[in-house]
Amino acid sequence: MPGVSSRLAAYSQVVLFFGAFLLFWEYGVRYFEVKSYILPPISAIAVAVWEARSEIFENSMYTLAEVLIGFGAAVVVGVMLGMVVYVSPFAQRTIYPLVTALQTTPKSALAPLMIVWFGYGFISKVAMAFLFAFFPIVVATLGGFAGTAKNLEEHFRALNAGPWRTFTTLRLPSALPSFIDGCRVAMPLAMIGAIIGELVGSERGLGNLIMLGTASTRTDLVFGCIIVITLISLALYALIEFAAKSVWWRGIQV
Amino acid sequence: MVSTATAEAPQSGRALNPAAEAAANHIEARGLNKTFGSFKALEDIDFTIKNQEFVSVLGPSGCGKSTLLRIVAGLIPYESGSATIKGEAVRAPRPDVGVVFQTNNMLPWLTVRRNVELGARIRNMPADARDAAVDKILDVLSLTKFADAHPHQLSGGMRQRASIGQALVLDPQILLMDEPFGALDALTRDKLNVELLRIWQESRKTVMLITHSIAEAVFLSDRVLVMADRPGKIVEEVTIDLPRPRNAATTRAMPKFGEYVAYLGKVMGVAS
Ligand SMILES: Nc1ncnc2c1ncn2[C@@H]1O[C@H](COP(=O)(O)OP(=O)(O)O)[C@@H](O)[C@H]1O
Ligand SMILES: [Mg+2]
Repeated sequence: MPGVSSRLAAYSQVVLFFGAFLLFWEYGVRYFEVKSYILPPISAIAVAVWEARSEIFENSMYTLAEVLIGFGAAVVVGVMLGMVVYVSPFAQRTIYPLVTALQTTPKSALAPLMIVWFGYGFISKVAMAFLFAFFPIVVATLGGFAGTAKNLEEHFRALNAGPWRTFTTLRLPSALPSFIDGCRVAMPLAMIGAIIGELVGSERGLGNLIMLGTASTRTDLVFGCIIVITLISLALYALIEFAAKSVWWRGIQV
Repeated sequence: MVSTATAEAPQSGRALNPAAEAAANHIEARGLNKTFGSFKALEDIDFTIKNQEFVSVLGPSGCGKSTLLRIVAGLIPYESGSATIKGEAVRAPRPDVGVVFQTNNMLPWLTVRRNVELGARIRNMPADARDAAVDKILDVLSLTKFADAHPHQLSGGMRQRASIGQALVLDPQILLMDEPFGALDALTRDKLNVELLRIWQESRKTVMLITHSIAEAVFLSDRVLVMADRPGKIVEEVTIDLPRPRNAATTRAMPKFGEYVAYLGKVMGVAS
């Protein structure tokens, strides 16, 4: 475990590196006379974000809602499907190969279809976030259940534990670390899905703002949106990391 | 853990009270066969373990000891012959049989206390009886201080003790143990042998202990069954006529102890 001082050193390295990067950006574009519709200086982006703050905030909340609902639905449906496939040999033979095959479809190619099906509004973006997040969660959940230690299963059988007891006491906690790993992959993907949906056709959201900014050569606003999207993704990822801390038994073999 | 009926049993000899005589043969196998596909794992296994008897099964690795224990525990089916417990054919795990497996079966996310009481919870023992039983077992196994620790924080020896606790908490009449100390260093193993002996002398369970340690088998057992492999079968049966109560210092120092160890070593050498 790193001590406080070495952690401080690590942080200050990060801060220094980012500071240097931002300074280089700010003065680099001026020095090389880069046109501001190609790459505006970082200060111009900051000003644009500040001026459009209420618009950006509203659209951020809209996109965030799409991501969270899509992700939540992916967790619920993914875990249920993972469970069904795990307990049912029939589902293992039929649904699982289908899921595996669908997993390889490029989900972004489905965006226009989602808009045809669900319209330009909220639902089609939720569907996109869902599609992107769903597969990693199913696969991780299944992997978690299948990875339940055989010796522990036998131990439960020797105690005449019923299926429900075995599920709640053994399989669920066994599968949690793998499930959390799946969420870790799925959360940023849900954001990507929602943004792609918005770029393809939307009325609101950060992706929509990017389209509007591009159409009016407001590159500063476009960059502002990209930065905000990244920050939201990071915050969501941190949330998953925080939840992952409560599943501390990952990788512990006794 | 000490039931009144068994506490009166003499400390040595095999005397049984008449009521128990009917069920004297706690574990019995007759002409038992087991195959895995075309592989013959067990052939024509015949043995009896009487009520309150401590019997060890010795044999080389891969000879089918764990398979035999799983059949007796009702965990896997067998092809022909019979396996009975208290005269009833074994078809499924029974509540009066406790099993300690070769691998310790701690759930990493539960504390030692929660792990030890797992069986009591699964079998729906009332909470107060359960708490009392767990307290006692933790004390007997010197694990009270570690009750709130998690398994990965324990030494191998402590984890193995806790595994035995998992089986003892239900106070089973019959205890099946599959190389419970197999993964431990010799010193820890000797210590746990003494603890197991003490527990058995107090509670007088019927024990089937699988081991590959000759000294362990002689020290603990009333009788030792020796198995050979390919196919797994019982090739020798040795009654260990050492006085009880036994203890670490005197029993192991007896000339007869050495003779049994030497004899079984010879048999095992021939058998394997
Ligand atoms: N489920 C199984 N399927 C196929 N072969 C098995 C199975 N379980 C055990 N065996 C085989 O049976 C033999 C005996 O195994 P086991 O009872 O574990 O031996 P031991 O406990 O004496 O080391 C070994 O050769 C092993 O490979
Ligand atoms: Mg074995």
